[in-house]
Amino acid sequence: MNPNWNLWMRQTWAVMRLEIGKSFFSKRGLWIYLLAFAPIVIWGGHSYEVMERGEDRQKMAQRSPGVTRQKMAMITDEMSKERILAILGPPARQQSFGRRHPVQIMRWSDGKAEFIVRFRDGELENISLREGCSFEEDSTVFAAIFQFFYLRLAIFWGCVFVFMNLFRGEMLDKSLHYYFLAPIRREVVVAGKFGAGLLATGVIFGVSIALQFAGMNLHFPKETVDQYFSQGHAIQHLLSYIGVSILACAGYGSAFLVGGILLRNPLIPAGVLLLWESINGILPAILRKFSVIYYLKVLSPVAIPLDKGVPGPLAMLAFGTDPVSTPVAIIGVFGLALVLLVVAAWRSRSMEISYAAE
Amino acid sequence: MAVYKRSYKAYTGHLTPEWSRWIVIPRYAWQGLFRLRLLTIFYVLCFFYPLGCAVVIYLNNNLAFIRQYMPVPPNGILDIGNKFFLTYTVVQCTLAFILTAFIGPGLVSPDLANNALPLYFSRPVSRTGYVVGKMMVIAGLLSMITWIPGLMLFGLQASLADSKWVTDNWKIAWSIFFSASVWIVFVAMLSLALSAWVRWRIIAGGLMLVVLFVGAGLAEAIRQVWRIDSARFLDVSSNMGNIWTHMFDVKTRYTLTLEDSIMVLAGYTALCIWLLARKIKACEVIRG
Repeated sequence: MNPNWNLWMRQTWAVMRLEIGKSFFSKRGLWIYLLAFAPIVIWGGHSYEVMERGEDRQKMAQRSPGVTRQKMAMITDEMSKERILAILGPPARQQSFGRRHPVQIMRWSDGKAEFIVRFRDGELENISLREGCSFEEDSTVFAAIFQFFYLRLAIFWGCVFVFMNLFRGEMLDKSLHYYFLAPIRREVVVAGKFGAGLLATGVIFGVSIALQFAGMNLHFPKETVDQYFSQGHAIQHLLSYIGVSILACAGYGSAFLVGGILLRNPLIPAGVLLLWESINGILPAILRKFSVIYYLKVLSPVAIPLDKGVPGPLAMLAFGTDPVSTPVAIIGVFGLALVLLVVAAWRSRSMEISYAAE
Repeated sequence: MAVYKRSYKAYTGHLTPEWSRWIVIPRYAWQGLFRLRLLTIFYVLCFFYPLGCAVVIYLNNNLAFIRQYMPVPPNGILDIGNKFFLTYTVVQCTLAFILTAFIGPGLVSPDLANNALPLYFSRPVSRTGYVVGKMMVIAGLLSMITWIPGLMLFGLQASLADSKWVTDNWKIAWSIFFSASVWIVFVAMLSLALSAWVRWRIIAGGLMLVVLFVGAGLAEAIRQVWRIDSARFLDVSSNMGNIWTHMFDVKTRYTLTLEDSIMVLAGYTALCIWLLARKIKACEVIRG
């Protein structure tokens, strides 16, 4: 073993310590908190709304007994008020407003779904059915949001901001020369900065996905959640989501670190990579392997069923890939990150600072 | 003349009209922008698609020429109509957005970072004039690649096709102009607002892409989780797509109405103007 390894490891840790604070608390890094924590607000809001509305719907169901999901489905736009009342019975709740053109809104519920009918001047104007949510449906939506929003957009752009900042930000602050004047190898600086970026993004996005998972499960009955945790591989799913998020940070982070070192404007590689990742589903099999999302899709714990009605662009994103095994997928992402880090380290050796050009 | 005889005298030369003073801003900005080689290359590339469209329109109206080399259906290679011009508008407006992500963020931030605004406003340029001038830098460049070539293509098709085509499709010319104008105003104001608030050019450019892509993703996520269609209001690209499909009278896949989408875009543009107004001031009070 090279006797310098110990020194290099200590220096890497020292660079990491300096960078961690910047990555977590920099003013420029505020955006990644917004990106990471927006889905928590969505899931938290959903749980709160379902819990609030669930109690309300139960009360409504008690007030209008006999209302079933089948009866609600029988109502069509052409029906008269009398016919609707004959099928569903008196509404559980109704409100009226307006003098010239009185509007009347009637609501029924079977305890889960809510059926709303709106009349204007006594004529049917609009009907809408608000479904209750099921555990299976929410799990699938969670997986879809994880793959299409969280991995492809939130983590992707979060990594752009954090890893781009590692070198380009220092250039802008005119402080990169402090590192280059210190008696440490450039490769050590690259490794330390990458480690700090990975730790910051891994913690932020890992914590976020764990909170989202908790937010999703919050409104389900205790028995359903217990069953999911005891028999439904909840812990395995949660760890998979966190692991995939960290892998995504490593894969995208290394790409943007190289972009930040090679180019003055890292938005160009970011745009190209976004396009490349988006068309991954329609690429030839051999080219698919040269992307991060190819491996992340394989590792995602819940598969997303594609209906026929899915719009073209979404179908393209979700296009099935020929699966690889889990170890190959993990090694694939880390291998890609390692190759990119080697390129970044090699390029950093000949890197010259020109603050005037920024 | 002895120095002691020199005293203040008002300028007696020719004065430019007050309304036209903001033109100075885009004039110098354009000169600076075209010094960037990458930008110039990209801008030239933006003309390739309109050029290709012009060739297609010409060939479609001169089928005898193509028939010498290959069999052609009697109605022509393709139907030059609303779908053709909608595709043209979508492609060119996408390129316009990418172009704005490069040029827009660098327009206001250097003035703010270097405290140059007092220098502008000590001259006869108002705050509105400054913003209009900066906006015209983007709007002028984008117009040259969106609605101006679009109307030229429409004119080419109108001159080559029979008069019935013109009477049937005159609305397309208005659609090209309106669709591109709404988009240009929105992206210009968005890039200026981001440029004013995020002083790092690259981050501001990145945020433009984030607003478009993450906004769409976030809207879809909210729509799926909360099961509400009004989440689409957050999605700028869907709203713009809705306006385009309505304007070109093409079957739309969006659930929002044209009025909704126009209101959404107008709302976002107003928000950008408000954000700009908060930052563009002749002096800055720094507390603390």
